Amino acid sequence: MAARLPANSDESALSLTLAVVASSAGPLLLLDGDLNIIAASASFCEAFDIDCATTRGRQLYDLGAGEWDVPPLRALLDTAASGDPKRDTDEIDLVRPRHGLRRLAIQAQRLVYFDKAHPRFLVAVNDVTEARADRKAMEEALEQNSVLLQEVRHRVANSLQIIASVLLQNARRTSSDETRGHLQNAHHRVMSVAELERQLSASAEGAGNVHLHTYFTKLCDSIAASMIGDDGQLALIVDGGDSEVTARVSVSLGLIVTELVINALKHAYPDGQSGTISVTYTHRGPNWTLSVHDDGVGMPTDPALIRTGLGTSIVQALAKQLEACVEIAPGHPGTKVSVEHTQVALIGDRPAEPAVTVAIERPAA
Amino acid sequence: MSPSERATHPGTTLLIVEDEILAAMALKDELEDAGYHVLDLTGRHQEAVAAARDRHPDLALVNIQLQGRDDGIEVAVELKAMGIPVLFISGQISRAQSAKTVAVGSLPKPYSPIEMVRAVNYLLRHLKGDESLPCPAALEVFDHPQPGTAPAPEPAA
Repeated sequence: MAARLPANSDESALSLTLAVVASSAGPLLLLDGDLNIIAASASFCEAFDIDCATTRGRQLYDLGAGEWDVPPLRALLDTAASGDPKRDTDEIDLVRPRHGLRRLAIQAQRLVYFDKAHPRFLVAVNDVTEARADRKAMEEALEQNSVLLQEVRHRVANSLQIIASVLLQNARRTSSDETRGHLQNAHHRVMSVAELERQLSASAEGAGNVHLHTYFTKLCDSIAASMIGDDGQLALIVDGGDSEVTARVSVSLGLIVTELVINALKHAYPDGQSGTISVTYTHRGPNWTLSVHDDGVGMPTDPALIRTGLGTSIVQALAKQLEACVEIAPGHPGTKVSVEHTQVALIGDRPAEPAVTVAIERPAA
Repeated sequence: MSPSERATHPGTTLLIVEDEILAAMALKDELEDAGYHVLDLTGRHQEAVAAARDRHPDLALVNIQLQGRDDGIEVAVELKAMGIPVLFISGQISRAQSAKTVAVGSLPKPYSPIEMVRAVNYLLRHLKGDESLPCPAALEVFDHPQPGTAPAPEPAA
């Protein structure tokens, strides 16, 4: 059977509109061109303790005990009435009797329909007081966590400074050159991590990313202060690294730089030879390459002279942890050690190829 | 460290005010090796001020966090009043920055003792207007008039 057509389609349309507004689950108002209320949803009346039967024909500002008559709401509705689509949403504070200060998110929208002579406005009102309070509490908790994390980082850096100091004290008091060298290397490794912790403690988040150029520069300054005299014979420069990586990645990269730079300083320039050691970090998307290039005497050609020590093991282990490969190549002159991470899609469940193990340390000069 | 850095500094006395005794010991050894005379280590405000009053060191290396509730910035204020320049040696960089007017510089932790020797070498010369040494990268110098170097204030009318 065909549906019966309404006698008057305008009345039918208005009736339908009023029914839609009245049944809206979210607090909703329909206003005419003079901002008088045509219809209010039951949810609006219930949320704001208003008798629905008394709303029709009244101005929104007249509702309740006058608490709706506030300049921000007038400004918002005036903007909507002017047809400016740029600012049709705002949050206003409303002091409600028995409820205190409430934060309302209000969206006022001019309806687009064929009867341009009689504009209508749909106003959605949401009480976001609790949501905003929750967000503020969450932001305060995050801020507190950040401060605590910075404090922990600061204390870790201090503790590492103490450990490094003790190692250096031991190095000063030992009569064995070899032992002294090991202790000094350990000192540099600890300082490498300590510097990272200091940088993290100074960052806004305390757990954020690390700017590699800054980190590598500090590391190299520290190593240079300990191992390079002020005679200008040797230079240590940092190139690239104008990017940020996570703390976890940066600690590994920092230790690799420490090992490779110490190794180059110890062995690449025998007999007071001069030269330059370059630490370079480049990246493209997820792929990156860290290289330490010296222009010294180069690696020995006799494999029997190449030994693997703790430094080699540390670099290999860290490279593997970073899913990177270590490559040693002649530097023309000198030696270039590169640690390269290439993001390769896995085939099925097969893991990425492990890092190739090669010796990094040279024979002592 | 080069021979020039190991050169003795006769009559140059330093005060280390640091609550971490092991870090302070390593620092003292390195500075003494570099030829400086380092006063007895202390991590307390009153001890530091008393030592400074008795011996008037040429430079005081002051950590900001000291033993108990003692505060290195408060120590620095008193040392500055005595005409003793202060180098902050703290990881609390923002606090050191906020107290620039009472110190001549800051070398934040973590530092190696050798870096500290270079910073001290530089600062002692810098304070006399001698710029013959390069400024260590990790050292931040707070350039402003120091006690004894500032022009005398106008007498009150």
